[in-house]
Amino acid sequence: MSEPVLVRPAADPASAAGRPLPPPRARRRRRVPLRPWLLLAPGLAVIGVLLLYPLGRVVWLSFQDYGLRNVVSGEPNYNGLDNYVALLTDPFLWRVVLPNTIVFAVVAVGGTVVLGTLVALLLRSLGPWWRTVVIGCVLVAWAMPAVTGTYVWIWIFDVDRGLVRQLLQAVGLVGPEGFNWFTERLSFYAIVTLNIVHHGFPFVAVTVLAGLLTIPRELTEAAMLDGANAWQRFWRVTVPTIRPVFAVVTILSTIWDFKVFAQVYLMPGGGGTNPEVFNLGVWSYVRSFAQQSYGLGSAVAVLLTLMLLVITIGYLRAVFRDEELR
Amino acid sequence: MTTPTAATATAVAPAGAGRARARRSPRRTARRIGKGAAVAALLVFTLFPAYFMLASAFAPRATSGIDVLLPTEFSLRHFEYVLTRAGFLTYLGNSVLVALITVVGSSLLALLAAVAVARFRFRLRTTVLILILVVQMVPLEALVISLFLLARDLQMLNSLIGLGVVYIALSLPFAVWMLRGFVAAVPVEVEEAAYIDGASWGRMFWSVLFPLVAPGLVATGIFSFITAWNEFILALTFMNDSDKYTVAVGLRQFFGQYTTDWGAVMAASTIITLPVMAFFLFVQRGLVSGLVAGAVKG
Repeated sequence: MSEPVLVRPAADPASAAGRPLPPPRARRRRRVPLRPWLLLAPGLAVIGVLLLYPLGRVVWLSFQDYGLRNVVSGEPNYNGLDNYVALLTDPFLWRVVLPNTIVFAVVAVGGTVVLGTLVALLLRSLGPWWRTVVIGCVLVAWAMPAVTGTYVWIWIFDVDRGLVRQLLQAVGLVGPEGFNWFTERLSFYAIVTLNIVHHGFPFVAVTVLAGLLTIPRELTEAAMLDGANAWQRFWRVTVPTIRPVFAVVTILSTIWDFKVFAQVYLMPGGGGTNPEVFNLGVWSYVRSFAQQSYGLGSAVAVLLTLMLLVITIGYLRAVFRDEELR
Repeated sequence: MTTPTAATATAVAPAGAGRARARRSPRRTARRIGKGAAVAALLVFTLFPAYFMLASAFAPRATSGIDVLLPTEFSLRHFEYVLTRAGFLTYLGNSVLVALITVVGSSLLALLAAVAVARFRFRLRTTVLILILVVQMVPLEALVISLFLLARDLQMLNSLIGLGVVYIALSLPFAVWMLRGFVAAVPVEVEEAAYIDGASWGRMFWSVLFPLVAPGLVATGIFSFITAWNEFILALTFMNDSDKYTVAVGLRQFFGQYTTDWGAVMAASTIITLPVMAFFLFVQRGLVSGLVAGAVKG
């Protein structure tokens, strides 16, 4: 077993303990580092068995007509690309599911990033005491679990006895017959967006604030001397200086908003009774578990994963643009 | 909490010396009032759902949104119903057990893996790091189908231990990513000093490195706890037996076919949310630094 090759003398194996170089052949054998792999083995095994293998299997399932019979017998039933052909030629995908996923994600990410940035700018202008208080309150919104947060929004918008309905009725905007905003796709997703933005903006605010505080004051002062107003200072100084921060919060928010599940599934109708409000994740789940069509559900899941993979590549590039992994 | 407006406005535009100057420049006063209004609006927006949840949970009757909004009475009967007659204690016990399995398993595995990637240089190290990052992006909706089939084949459906083991895998990538920073922050000299004193690598690990990264271990453990406590889709799919529900899934029990007992739902939601909030406020700093990695260093 070799000495642990410590981080700093990385490239030079001889300097590990300041010993003279061993003969070439022995050196090559010593350089096979067993210890890091021993340390990594349990974690990688768990990730491999419980994350990577299922991911591979869902791809494999997506090339099969896999129903309840196959679940019981465990036998494969290949049908080539049929699932993908059926999926991509289904008008429901293009008319309902993709817009529900993509348009929603764009709107929600936009709302989250804009609100979060505004809050970060507000936080920067506050004194230390108020800044701490406001950050503490903002974290309450972040800490709310998705499931309970969703139920609170459903209760606020409850069709019969909810606060919003009663307030709107009191001012005469809604008649006594009421209005079911959970059945209309647009109002349904308006509530989901409110839920997601409320839950998501604290991360953006706290992160962008951390970025804002790294901007040297001289930069802003120089811009002020040059006569730039607040709007120009924000777009010409602040945004270019902390562009990587904006890239990371935007991409992470996009990834999270693409795979929203509980916030849609738990809403009235979102769990299967109202197909108009399905997004990719819910559609995949309903296809698999409610309609016992695991092959088609897997194909939908693969489509979602591929879209996320593309965004993830953008994330990696934003994080590691000019910094090697340390 | 219902009256942040007044408090904010007075504090953001402080009295005394500032006021004389403010009177001379109306624009400055306007800006201060604007800022106070923005803070007040922000606080109302962020806190409102949590407030409404608490108000409904403690209301004697939660049958109307407007009645709940401004509470006049305070009652524990929803909590009593939820914890005694509705069997929510069982769900709480299940969630605690699953979360404990997750925290212990994921902390242990993450510590070993974090030491490997933070302290050693080896071939494929960057590949392993990128794998750990990328695997977090995989949507659970894609994994749930094959995990369900896997759990079914292994007779692990309805098993709390099985669910806990799956959650170890879910929380592990982020735990490794976060602990990596804590391990890297321990100076190499400390380890070298241990070797000079004659310690073996194992001795150094347990007596030197482990105590120094213990705070990081607490933080990552809390994140694993929150992951397990909040997880919904897998618990929904794996647990068919209502005795085995976790809290996130057990909440659905309170939804009747025609009416919903919102007081009970909100009381149960409060019980679920409070531990998460307490823990979250404790560790949020680490979450931000873990997620944005090198991007914030500026």
